[in-house]
Amino acid sequence: MADSFILGLSIGSACLVTCGMVMFPYFMAGSAGVRKITQDLLIFLSVRLIIYFILASIAWYFGQKVFTTGLLSKYLPGALYVIFAGLLIRYSIVKNSRKTCPAELAAKIDNKKLIPVFLGIVNSVGLCPALLLILTTGATKETVTQSWLAFLAFFAGSSIWFLPVPFAGKFRKKKVMETIGIFATGLAGTIYMIKGITIIIGGIING
Amino acid sequence: MDNPGKTLQSKKTLGMSLLYTLPMFLITFMFISGGKPSFSDTTGTMAFFITFLGMNVLFFLMHYTGKTDRFRAVLFIVFALSLSFTLIKNIVDIRNSMSFSQADIVECKIPFCHLVIPMMIIPAAFTKSIIFPGTILGNFANISSMVVLWGIATIVLGRGFCSWGCFYGGWDDGFSRLRKKPLLRKIGDNWKWMPFAVLFMVAITAALTLIPTYCDWICPFKTVTEFEQVTGVESAAKAGVFISLFGGLVVFLPAFTKKRTQCSFLCPLGAVNTLSNKITPFTIKIDKKTCNECFKCVDVCPMFALTPDGVRSGNVSVFCSKCGKCVDACSKKAIHYGIKGIPAGTMKNFSRNIFLFVSFLFIAVFSAGSILFTVQSLLSLILK
Repeated sequence: MADSFILGLSIGSACLVTCGMVMFPYFMAGSAGVRKITQDLLIFLSVRLIIYFILASIAWYFGQKVFTTGLLSKYLPGALYVIFAGLLIRYSIVKNSRKTCPAELAAKIDNKKLIPVFLGIVNSVGLCPALLLILTTGATKETVTQSWLAFLAFFAGSSIWFLPVPFAGKFRKKKVMETIGIFATGLAGTIYMIKGITIIIGGIING
Repeated sequence: MDNPGKTLQSKKTLGMSLLYTLPMFLITFMFISGGKPSFSDTTGTMAFFITFLGMNVLFFLMHYTGKTDRFRAVLFIVFALSLSFTLIKNIVDIRNSMSFSQADIVECKIPFCHLVIPMMIIPAAFTKSIIFPGTILGNFANISSMVVLWGIATIVLGRGFCSWGCFYGGWDDGFSRLRKKPLLRKIGDNWKWMPFAVLFMVAITAALTLIPTYCDWICPFKTVTEFEQVTGVESAAKAGVFISLFGGLVVFLPAFTKKRTQCSFLCPLGAVNTLSNKITPFTIKIDKKTCNECFKCVDVCPMFALTPDGVRSGNVSVFCSKCGKCVDACSKKAIHYGIKGIPAGTMKNFSRNIFLFVSFLFIAVFSAGSILFTVQSLLSLILK
């Protein structure tokens, strides 16, 4: 639970950085007040929560099918953690890596009321390394409830960053916050990298 | 006799420096002797005088020569080495090993260090408990005295604590002085924000798990103090992280870059001290009228606190640890210790003297016990 929350917390900042370019103009557009923005934000977060529950169920189902044999259950989760954590670290430290938000597609939606829903969908299923890591976590859980809880913790951690969005116009030093967020993402990647290596070495030692 | 003016000037400065050192002489005498000087044992007496005179000679030289960093660094590095020696010797005497077991954790026998403080705040506020397995009012490295000392130091010195109070900083400060010129010059300015990410992560994880995660998983100084007994893959991984970070951030990067990379890129307490730099009365000031923009200060700053743009506009960032390296390097004396509210370029000596007295007092108080213990232990070994 704690590591899923931390992963969500760390990637939430990066998510806000990449998707902020798309989301801020929408949320800040026109004369929408704090109340209207809060309503849209709640729709956006609710959609993300629903999608995460679906993804948690799918990940757990595939985990039950894939991680069945001794060898796969011992090494594959560790290997996946190492690979995805490596991607997450790369994502955070490579200065010029292309960080784009799938929510850019939202600009093509005509119906303004549907935009928060669409933003929630594309933001949840965008295949970022952190989502791949949490999918791996969900897949390795013994019960579907544990998988849901892991995704719930991931959702809670990542959503904290979106809570100040209604007041985003009042933020100062956004650049510094972005930098700290990106570094936090790299640290979360490092945590998962060590976790993955520990799983692999543990697998080797325990035969 | 050839130049009486110069001789008079030297004598005057010597006299003033001695006068300036006198209060420190008395205070350190009280501290090092514990208020009850006893000279019955030869080794103890020798150790006392070596520590006491060593400290005061350094303080005197700071005033007499006008150089700060070179003498501060001597005491700071000796402090770091002696603290590690003291801690390891005490731990080995008690446990016969540098590692601690789960039983030591349960019995709260782990010496406390100030790096835990940022992780204690949230759990203490919500659970009314301290998440570190140490003693609150014990004799050796207890939690309450460390928190109080750090609290006062950070309010008075701000990030100056990192160069005048921290008992780990001397490690990477020492390694950053090994080479004359840096091998690695280009380091992204953004990296100085890394300690805030570490602070954010360890504060949250400690609050969620009620474990001081920085000590448990990250602290590079576990390598030179104490560490968890290696009993499985996880504890081995932790030991690997400690050693890698010590090797990378405390030894190699400082040696290659001439910067204090552990303090600048990792330490979460450094991030807190950076914030307290905003409230401390002491600061470093740049006199724009005298500055010739040679940017030597930018090159020598070990904490990434100075930038060319900052120097041009006369600003020193909150990352400054007031080590004095830039002050010593400036040939025009344009950069100097200052007090907030007093304009740059004015009352330079007054501000420096006040700052040096306060900051040296801190390092003397923090380091006296461990240096005395180390000197005494080494003398005992030699005289045996």
